Amino acid sequence: MHHKKKTNTRAASRRIVLVGNPNVGKSVIFGVLTGRYATVSNYPGTTVEVSRGPMLGASDIDVIDSPGVNSLVPMSEDERVTRDILLNEDIGSVIQALDAKNLRRSLLITVQLIEMGLPITLAVNMYDEAGERGIAIALDKLSTMLGLPVAPTIATQRWNVDKLKDCFNLHKTSSALVHYGPAIEEGIAELAAVLPASRISARSLAIMLLSGDATLADWVKANLAPDKAALIETIRSRVQARSSESVGYVINRTRLKTVDHICEAVISVSERGSHPAAAFIGNYSMHPLWGLPILFAVLFIMYEFVGRLGAGISVDFLQKFIFEQFVNPWAARVVGYVFPSGFIYDIIVGQYGIVTMAFTYAIAIILPIVSFFFIFFSILEDSGYLPRLAIMVDRVFKLMGLNGKAVLPMILGLGCDTMATMTTRILETRKERIIVTLLLALGVPCSAQLGVILGMLGAVSFTATLIWAGVVICVMFIVGLLASRILPGETSDFILEIPPMRVPQLSNIALKTVVRVEWYLKEAVPLFIVGTLALFALDKSHALVWLEYAASPVIKGFLGLPVEATQSFIIGFLRRDYGAAGLLAMQKDGMLEPVQVVVSLVTITLFIPCIANFFMIIKELGLRAAIIMAIFIFPFALLVGGILNYALRFLQVSL
Amino acid sequence: MHRNKAFEEVLEFIWSQREEGKNSVKALLSIKEVCEEADSGTLERMRSDGLIKIDGDVVTLTQAGERLAEAAIRRHRLAEMLLTEVLAMKNDDALEENACSFEHTLSPEVADSICALLGHPPNCPHGLPIPRGACCGKSKDDLRPIVVPLEELAVGTNARIIFIASKSHGRLDRLGTLGIVPGSVVRVHQKRPAFVLQIGETTLALDPAIVKDIFARRVG
Repeated sequence: MHHKKKTNTRAASRRIVLVGNPNVGKSVIFGVLTGRYATVSNYPGTTVEVSRGPMLGASDIDVIDSPGVNSLVPMSEDERVTRDILLNEDIGSVIQALDAKNLRRSLLITVQLIEMGLPITLAVNMYDEAGERGIAIALDKLSTMLGLPVAPTIATQRWNVDKLKDCFNLHKTSSALVHYGPAIEEGIAELAAVLPASRISARSLAIMLLSGDATLADWVKANLAPDKAALIETIRSRVQARSSESVGYVINRTRLKTVDHICEAVISVSERGSHPAAAFIGNYSMHPLWGLPILFAVLFIMYEFVGRLGAGISVDFLQKFIFEQFVNPWAARVVGYVFPSGFIYDIIVGQYGIVTMAFTYAIAIILPIVSFFFIFFSILEDSGYLPRLAIMVDRVFKLMGLNGKAVLPMILGLGCDTMATMTTRILETRKERIIVTLLLALGVPCSAQLGVILGMLGAVSFTATLIWAGVVICVMFIVGLLASRILPGETSDFILEIPPMRVPQLSNIALKTVVRVEWYLKEAVPLFIVGTLALFALDKSHALVWLEYAASPVIKGFLGLPVEATQSFIIGFLRRDYGAAGLLAMQKDGMLEPVQVVVSLVTITLFIPCIANFFMIIKELGLRAAIIMAIFIFPFALLVGGILNYALRFLQVSL
Repeated sequence: MHRNKAFEEVLEFIWSQREEGKNSVKALLSIKEVCEEADSGTLERMRSDGLIKIDGDVVTLTQAGERLAEAAIRRHRLAEMLLTEVLAMKNDDALEENACSFEHTLSPEVADSICALLGHPPNCPHGLPIPRGACCGKSKDDLRPIVVPLEELAVGTNARIIFIASKSHGRLDRLGTLGIVPGSVVRVHQKRPAFVLQIGETTLALDPAIVKDIFARRVG
């Protein structure tokens, strides 16, 4: 209807944004459209950062992947990211990914996108899962009712995704607007008249403001004069005064009514198809009784797979055989040929050499462990088990001022604490984010470290493993408990969507593992080299001996460890997995007895994971919070280690 | 039968005074709400109508008065429950006032419907007992209230949400975006260790504190 106007507008932006509810497959579609990999998992909240990339075969078009939202009135940080993209960026077109089996919730977003006046294409994704459940969708009818192009897709199989590429050319906006009743419509009209021109329609902004969207306060401040801002508030309260319920709630219910009307017209459900095995496991994994044995089984399999197979057998093979028999002697011979002896020889293949220490640790010890862990972890992620775990732990987490949802970043921390710190954005309040970030930094060992630890403890005894795990978990729990009492602020409700159990796709597991291992190598190896060079410098300047001497009251006296452990703790400041690898090397050389293994591992587990993690804490929570955490964590870790040392020796625990 | 508003007020106050262990005429007439509606003349008329007995300063209810008072108290306290639980009014003076004007317009049938809607509540928001009505006394099967807190439903039950008594706007909004609004049909999937319900093909884990506020009616 505005055909003429449309052709007159300035050159349309060549930018497509992918929007949709959590866990509907936006990142998969992004991957297919751009050929780039954005992490894909089977739980809501995988994407907390925005990915961007040029479209395959049309490099002038930029595709943006956004975090999932249940409403465009944001309630958490990641939802806000998506709203801000729509509000502030020059968007040419929107592709909304809809969950074919949950059309009702998906369409709730669609009506809000329509209000914004953006050109939209609908990708009715997971079309196969809807079919399996006996849900049939009249796509033509849906397209007509909304006035938008609709394509059924199965993104994981790349089916039909190429059709979405054409959406850019269709450039269709819809005029199917929701009517909110006289009181609210009046308010919308009044507000729309006050609002400045914006990338999205004044109507949609007016509705957001009426909904009481507090996150828009910054936008109002930046774009409106103070008197206008006050006027907005006046109009808002006037509309609110005419309703006993919150206007936001009324708006949402009106939208749902519209959506229900559409759903009734386009969806028909026949006899439910079954997918018994997956549903069966899914139900039992969150069962109050069976959930626990399943959890322990999962942990046990992880111990066997990562600890034994990865940290035990694979590391032995790589370190003892490949590196000690071949790589290091060869390197020594080659380097020795060029630089017979002295400084350069030492820096490459000496005791603290880049090859003999940094590469041996990174490639022979950490790499196999990390790879095995990421394979296992990817399977867990894609199966849909993790959110079910949140149900099991909700009550315990409540005691720490958190709710079950917080288990997601904590478990992710087992992969990488730095990534997990970023994922705390899925939590709703700052208090919760601080507590989880603190617990991650304090007690959750990342994959590299966990593998080394499991390998070391496996060589001692199962009791040792239990003591280590028990102490770390207790410490985390107590710190969480105290932090929730001390920190001001609110905790939020536990509302978490539980995705269906799915059989993980081999290709996604492989891809995800490769991406993560590659990321790990890029992240860790440079730091390993820096740490090695630092040790090398300390050793050459004889500062290391002096440091070991200075630290010996703590290391030797309080923790009861050999002074050589000092160097592991020093590099543990950089990366605790590197420190743990140093301890592993000491254990293999027979320098640590069982009690010392447990004490040193508990201590280093409680260190801050790595420098990158520290920077991420600064980025997410600010410098002050990060420094306070560091000042607390390091002495506290040594304190716990010391107490454990005395307790084990006093009780004469045999390991 | 036309009900006399002043009589009803006085009867209610005699009833609630009695709950506190008092029966003084003087104390009764000194209550603000009573003296607005009634005086000693009103009491005299009530006595002659056979609703109350007065013996010196002591006032008691006759059998007929007892019946009327019980019904009035029941309407009043049900009205209070309706206003706080369903319409989410705060428990303050305004509540009392509204409940007062509300109760006089309620017919016994409507009072019973409200009682059933609320699941035959035993107490009013102030914690005082609500007299049982005919609806509460029916056979055991019928006694099962129509609208119950979601958490009381057995695992596997399908239910239509009737109202959500939460006072937190944020909570209502959040539930709304997930489709949990009055009218939606949900299925109780499990109740422990956390509450899990199913709405359409979505499975949701919910805080027990939220579920407590959701009231629903069983369906098929």
